[in-house]
Amino acid sequence: MQFKDQVGFIRQHIKKNKLRVFMTVLAATMGTAFLIVLASVGFGIHETIRDQMLSNRLVTEVQVHQSEESGDPGEHVEEIKKLAHVKAVVDRQQLGTNQMSLFGEFEGNHVLVVTDFKEEGKVGFALKEGRLPQNANEVVVGSHFTDYLYSEEETESGDFKTYEGDLIGEQFTYRIDDVEGEFVEEELTLTIVGIGENPSREWVSDRNIYAHDAIIPELERIHYSDHVTGSDDHPDASQLFYHDVAVYVDKLENVKMVSNALRDKQYYVFSIADELEQIDVFFLALKAGLVFVGTIAILIASIGIFNTMTMAVTERTREIGVMKAIGADPKLIRRLFLMESAWIGIIGTVLAVVISYAVSAVSNYLLPIIVSAALGEEDFSELNVTFSVIPWQLVLIASAISISVAMISGWRPARKATKIDVINALRQEL
Amino acid sequence: MISVEDLNHSFKIGKKGKEKRVPVLKRVTFNVQDGEIVSIVGKSGSGKSTLLHIMAGFMHADSGVIRVNGVETSSFNEAENAKFRLDNFGFIFQNFQLMPGLTAFENVELPLKLKGVNQTERQQKVQSLMQHVGLTNVQDHYPNELSGGQQQRVSIARALITDPPVIFADEPTGSLDSETEQDVLLLIQSLNKARNITFVIITHDDEVARTADRVYTMRDGELSEGGMHDAV
Ligand SMILES: Nc1ncnc2c1ncn2[C@@H]1O[C@H](COP(=O)(O)OP(=O)(O)OP(=O)(O)O)[C@@H](O)[C@H]1O
Ligand SMILES: [Mg+2]
Repeated sequence: MQFKDQVGFIRQHIKKNKLRVFMTVLAATMGTAFLIVLASVGFGIHETIRDQMLSNRLVTEVQVHQSEESGDPGEHVEEIKKLAHVKAVVDRQQLGTNQMSLFGEFEGNHVLVVTDFKEEGKVGFALKEGRLPQNANEVVVGSHFTDYLYSEEETESGDFKTYEGDLIGEQFTYRIDDVEGEFVEEELTLTIVGIGENPSREWVSDRNIYAHDAIIPELERIHYSDHVTGSDDHPDASQLFYHDVAVYVDKLENVKMVSNALRDKQYYVFSIADELEQIDVFFLALKAGLVFVGTIAILIASIGIFNTMTMAVTERTREIGVMKAIGADPKLIRRLFLMESAWIGIIGTVLAVVISYAVSAVSNYLLPIIVSAALGEEDFSELNVTFSVIPWQLVLIASAISISVAMISGWRPARKATKIDVINALRQEL
Repeated sequence: MISVEDLNHSFKIGKKGKEKRVPVLKRVTFNVQDGEIVSIVGKSGSGKSTLLHIMAGFMHADSGVIRVNGVETSSFNEAENAKFRLDNFGFIFQNFQLMPGLTAFENVELPLKLKGVNQTERQQKVQSLMQHVGLTNVQDHYPNELSGGQQQRVSIARALITDPPVIFADEPTGSLDSETEQDVLLLIQSLNKARNITFVIITHDDEVARTADRVYTMRDGELSEGGMHDAV
């Protein structure tokens, strides 16, 4: 029998029992749509959380910390740079002591950071104005440097007045404290030669002072100036500066590889990608759970398909007998019934997908409005929360489940049809 | 054409545990020649239909060999039997056994669909056969819109459409009045002459038996050549 004729055959059967088939398709549609919409909430929340996490931090960044077994990562920067897929290694050395900047009448405490500008440049560090420092007395300041320079004087609104003049070429005085925690008399005079670009996230402010590494001995000398030299407890230089090492990986996919390589070297490693992975695992389990619950709805619908097909076979016993008597292959009979239940599954699935997308779109639009109305918060709808997302993978999974469940529930009736005895069937009353 | 050798069959009847076997066919042996009309007569319950069902491959006998055109069909499985029927046999039943959801035309077309013949060829073949058996004016009627005689013509056309060498008929005129019966018998005879189709007709009607070239009689599962009245 040609496929076209098989389809025609099924069409004729379905037409004869429109209402019954319609109700069965409806049940299949409802079950499948329930599964898709339910699971889409898992996908929606996952996406929202991922977006939130990714918007706050750089995904390809891996923070490296010293462990008891590892050395200080700051001392092994060159070695780390040699790892595959590492784009840049930024070793920011920060002063672990109190510090103070005096800018005329203004005063502030800015963190002094010694860094490798070449590596910083590879991962987006740029200057808004000026140039990079070339000696111990030159510095670049972060774009929000002046926001943290206050004077004693108060403005009309009651806030402290901040500096609003030029920066490039200006000098300021920088002081740090000594081992006992007292500010040292000796001051450094630093010249601002450049201003950093605004950070890419608008809510992040950069008030650091970026200095050339030539400044390290200067500061160490000042910090330890009061200390008795030559004594046993001469502190290590690393106590004044601590390393803050961040490795930047070329691509997100490679973060795990680089993280593992660093872990092999006994470092403590932290990356947003690791955290994302844990969240992904959690949501994978959640989605699987939701799909499972949704599948139960499809299984309930499958009872309907089973009933419909069993009835169809019983009703057509005589016709099946005639077909077999004429010479229809039992396999053909089975295929015709399987195709019919598959058809119910396919139509049900297609309708369910369409309905699910509609429900998903409507709920994404309406839920924020309803929730904000209920909570009385106006701007809740502006918060970027997605309740329901239907990725193609979900459509694929739901379709596979629904269509195979439909075919499995049609399996027994179809087998029953092939088992029909010709003689008994022909004996049936018209 | 068809040879049946030493066919034996018994049915199991009664409740489980105390069923007993009732022999229905006993050492049935006979031949049907190419292009013959053979008629099998006998009392009700003598085993005529059972014999036909076994020859058609609807069921297996307990023992015995059946050959059709030299092919041993008695050892076929269900699928092989179905395929063989589609290619070699046509069937005419007492109660016509038409598909209620199909028109006369579509009923006749059905075996060709099963054989996978394409639509244009089907249309042509069915059209010309419908004309031949005089059904053109009712070809779009559903079976419940046809008289008994017309329905039997449709079922004869359906049996003929694949040009099978053999047609089995179980009481083909059993549900018809004597006038329509005559029509149907004439049609069978003319088809037998014109297309050299072999007919095996089961009947308990003398009128039908008279159209046959040869008559066999079934008595309690035993088959012998000759009419009911020539009995020993
Ligand atoms: N499936 C079955 N199970 C048990 N016994 C059966 C079965 N089919 C037929 N029989 C028995 O086999 C015998 C022969 O039946 P069969 O139908 O072949 O008779 P028949 O000659 O065709 O009769 P009729 O002229 O009334 O159609 C009968 O006694 C019947 O009771
Ligand atoms: Mg009978």
